[in-house]
Amino acid sequence: MNDEATDLEILRRGAQLAGFTWSDAELLEIRPLVMAGARVLHSLEDAPVADMEPATHYRTV
Amino acid sequence: MTDLARMIATKAISPVEVVRAHLERIAALDGELRSYITVCDDAALTAARAAEAQLMAGGPVGPLHGVPYALKDLYDTAGIRTTGGSRILGDRVPAADATVVQRLAQAGAISLGKLNMVEFAYGPEGLNPHYGHARNPWDRAVHRMAGGSSSGSGVAVAAGLASGALGSDTGGSIRIPSSLCGITGLKPTYGRVSRAGVLPLAWSMDHAGPMTRSAADCALMLRAMAGYDAADASTSVLPVPDYSVALTGDIKGLRVGLLRGFFLDGAAPEVRATVETAARALAGAGAVVDDVNLDHMQHVAGASLAIVGSEALAYHAERLRTRAGEFDPDVARRLRAGAYVTGVHYVRGQQVRALVRDAVDGALARRDVLLAPSTPIAAPPVDARQVELGDGPSDVRAALIRFNRPFNLSGHPSCSVPCGFTAGGLPVGMQFVGRPFDEATVLRAADAWQRLTDFHTRRPVLG
Repeated sequence: MNDEATDLEILRRGAQLAGFTWSDAELLEIRPLVMAGARVLHSLEDAPVADMEPATHYRTV
Repeated sequence: MTDLARMIATKAISPVEVVRAHLERIAALDGELRSYITVCDDAALTAARAAEAQLMAGGPVGPLHGVPYALKDLYDTAGIRTTGGSRILGDRVPAADATVVQRLAQAGAISLGKLNMVEFAYGPEGLNPHYGHARNPWDRAVHRMAGGSSSGSGVAVAAGLASGALGSDTGGSIRIPSSLCGITGLKPTYGRVSRAGVLPLAWSMDHAGPMTRSAADCALMLRAMAGYDAADASTSVLPVPDYSVALTGDIKGLRVGLLRGFFLDGAAPEVRATVETAARALAGAGAVVDDVNLDHMQHVAGASLAIVGSEALAYHAERLRTRAGEFDPDVARRLRAGAYVTGVHYVRGQQVRALVRDAVDGALARRDVLLAPSTPIAAPPVDARQVELGDGPSDVRAALIRFNRPFNLSGHPSCSVPCGFTAGGLPVGMQFVGRPFDEATVLRAADAWQRLTDFHTRRPVLG
């Protein structure tokens, strides 16, 4: 299986996990965006969050 | 708005004349500018006649009595279609007004119509293939971006097709078009203004706010809009002050932190120089200006992508399954990309949100406001894809939202004001950021700046 086919299969399974069934053409169309997004999301692992409790947003009285 | 409200209240001018003048200007100019999706001619004139009759009868009037404004087309309006800038909702007619629309009506404001926007507010360039790309009014020769997603709001206010407007801001969508169109726009604190009846992009990042020609106008609108709303659980019960009272013009001793590093270093040289000049002018007027860097800014893009990507897809999932072909293809692609954000990414994003919130709080612990460019560039051409920033090349979309997203994550209030013009005559914007629920100080700083300068009074040459 070449890289493109591998990518598409990964994308297809990811979409199915999220509840979507997209065509190969639709998956190819979003692949650059998903790959670029994956790099940005991966960088979150470098954030010094340790066991910091996640914020939701400002809540006050 | 402030001047119009006073002139109408003192019967120096008729609300019917004011509304008619705006409608005539819309008819003359909006074919090219594309700032409106729906113009409510008859309803606006009917409301103006009623407002005039009420004035002549001597009854009590609200602070915005007879003043015309317009709304980004994601605020629900009873009996008037609310499209979200989409074809999918092209025939959607809400049964009730959004809370904010009700409040502005109670204050006496008159709606001229619904404004163009990026489809479902998902994009900062201000482009819309369904209703036409709103045109930045500052360049007649080159079709430039108005900025988004509240593109029509920016254009309509800048071009005099509305005296004020409502926008919404999830990653800069009030401040970006305000910066690119040379107007004043306020993203209030998260929880200050109700989002009930406003189509969401990402619930935890969405802010509703005013876009006007001056900080004084923003103060007037915000007072009418803000406050607790049982229909929006995120709203605060903190009392709403009279923001206009805070506009003293005095900034002697005001502590201003100039955001360097991620912000000024990332701005294009002309924008950076303009904001630095503004900081020196503030210092010259008595403000105490120092430099500050915010930590963790390199993680903002990932956190925003995780949060907005997930929330936006969750909201649009069913439409994406059944009506995908009717979306703007660019918006559909971005929504689909949200399917690859995991639960862990989302929680990491929320953890980074806590980091960013603490960093901004820390910078404001010994300062009253922070100051940064609103956008790193002035309005680019509509077909621009890459731009050159102070620290290298950037995708235009990432560039436009770069300085705004931190404060959507953190929820702090931020007001964009014009601070100069490029050599080519395009407006440059800078933002004042304040402590949570301290819009009064943010507006005081913005208003004081506007008393020192005339950038906010300049208008594009049209017609």
